[in-house]
Amino acid sequence: MRIKFQNYYLQLTQTMHLLPKIPRNLIVTFLFLCGAYLSSRILIGHTGAENNSALVFVLAVIFISLLTDGFRYGIIASLIGAFCINYFFMYPYDQFSLNYAGYPVAMLSMLIISSIVCALTSLVKQQVTEARKREQKTRELYALNEKLNEEKNAIQIAAARETIRSNILRAVSHDLRTPLTTISGAASVLLASSEIASSEKNLSLVQDIKHDADDLIVMVENLLSITKIRDGTMPLNKQEELLEEVAGDALMNVRHRYPNVAIEMDLSDDILFLPMEPMLIKQVIINLLENAIRHSGDLEHISLHLFRQDHWAVVEVRDRGKGLSLEVSRAIQAGRQFERDTSGDSTRGMGIGLAVCQSIIKAHNGFFAAGNDPEKGGAVFRFGLPMEDLEL
Amino acid sequence: MSEKRTILVIEDEKSISNFICRALTAHDYKAIPAFRGKEGLSLFYSHSPELVLLDLGLPDMDGMTILEELCALPTEVPVLIISARDRETEKVKALDIGAEDYIVKPFGVSELLARIRTILRRVDRIKLSQGTQKDVYHIKDLTVDIARHIITQAGTEIHFTQNEFKIMELLCIHAGKVLTYDFILEHVWGPYGSTSNQILRVNMANIRRKLKENPSEPKYILTELGIGYRLLDD
Repeated sequence: MRIKFQNYYLQLTQTMHLLPKIPRNLIVTFLFLCGAYLSSRILIGHTGAENNSALVFVLAVIFISLLTDGFRYGIIASLIGAFCINYFFMYPYDQFSLNYAGYPVAMLSMLIISSIVCALTSLVKQQVTEARKREQKTRELYALNEKLNEEKNAIQIAAARETIRSNILRAVSHDLRTPLTTISGAASVLLASSEIASSEKNLSLVQDIKHDADDLIVMVENLLSITKIRDGTMPLNKQEELLEEVAGDALMNVRHRYPNVAIEMDLSDDILFLPMEPMLIKQVIINLLENAIRHSGDLEHISLHLFRQDHWAVVEVRDRGKGLSLEVSRAIQAGRQFERDTSGDSTRGMGIGLAVCQSIIKAHNGFFAAGNDPEKGGAVFRFGLPMEDLEL
Repeated sequence: MSEKRTILVIEDEKSISNFICRALTAHDYKAIPAFRGKEGLSLFYSHSPELVLLDLGLPDMDGMTILEELCALPTEVPVLIISARDRETEKVKALDIGAEDYIVKPFGVSELLARIRTILRRVDRIKLSQGTQKDVYHIKDLTVDIARHIITQAGTEIHFTQNEFKIMELLCIHAGKVLTYDFILEHVWGPYGSTSNQILRVNMANIRRKLKENPSEPKYILTELGIGYRLLDD
């Protein structure tokens, strides 16, 4: 019940606060005084008694002090009220007089009562506003506390996730790399031994082991990159590198694994020296070259170009193979990381490699694009990294 | 050759150690495996090998400590570091302490054998020359004449700036060895010279353009990504 009243009161004051302060207070005072005057007029017409008007005016004063700021308007209203009662509603009517016995006392007591009421209501009002402020503050504190708690939890969860991820990373790097090194290494020892090399059948089996172990090593590197980059929580470990050195290293790696494929690399005349995480960018270039080797169907005209375009250091891998299917190029253009095996067997294994590329380039604030060359045919993959101007 | 050259292999992974030793034995080296750091050090003192293969991640002691101890010895036995791929700073630190070279896991046997051959050849060369420096270096069709300050490629003289020449000279003196960025910076620009390696990298890019060298088909200078450069001497 009290709360309901408080709510109405709050609503009322809120609506009234739309008006500027002083006119609002004056209007309230004026309206209630008019109301008191009118009701007293009606009452005196019906009952003829004079006593009621004092109570009516006290009531008006109470409302005025409730609905105005401070107790100033209440006091003024009680002064006016006392005067009005004397002037309008006490004999002799329509004139001011203190000559009759009891009139000064009545006037004075009326003034005192309304002043006290005024003071009390403004006190109550003050308490109400203070209580409201306190409540609001408590609520804010509570909300803040809640938010802090949430943030703390989020940080803890993120930290826990980070630990798990680095554990997985360590597990993958150590537990997979070491046996793969052994498999690949042992296979190459066997390949070099005369007993194996003399038997054609054994030789090809060992070659397969070696080849697949090497492929797996590349895949593990890709997985490591993806865990490192995926959701962007891990900051890049950037350092300034010459793009040609990174690209050269990537190409040497690819040549080593595919000795029969001819890939040419064009150097730019500009010196492309820019911040990047070299191992990740190398991974991107390796993936693009490998993608061209495995999926284009062309092993003769794969090329790697480096050049500068405005503020971008651009790397471009071209082939003259069968080109990209509409599906794949659309997915890349939309920046979507497409699913593996979008168009059957021909793109097998393409998904993860290109997805890694896109994630890495995105983390470097670069662009990644792919399309077909309309003149010479074949696919073109291109990525750019932002360059800062060198002061030489 | 009269005697087999001894190589100490300090590597805690038994399977890796196994195939390394097999490969070494197959190529006429004498391989001694050690699976712990302490064991490695005691085997080093008892067998005095000519080369040490050292894995930095050992269970019982820090690989760096072993490296520091080996490099502090007057015998100057070369150390080849075996390291994981994503540990650039570790490799640079090891090279700066005095490791001769590094190889990255996972590596192939042929790569490992090539590294070992290069190191042993270098060590032999230094022993032969007994510290006297050559005046003229030949790398394939490139001739670097230190005294006359001239570099020619297939008979044609190429003009190099002062700093570019100093870099080439430094690479020639340490042919076959990886030189870290900091090492080159310190020797070319002086210990109080440039602290950023941008100036070195840009110089290197210019050298490469003058030599018509494509980093994907290195003829003279091999880039060790994130670590430094190496002059190819064979």
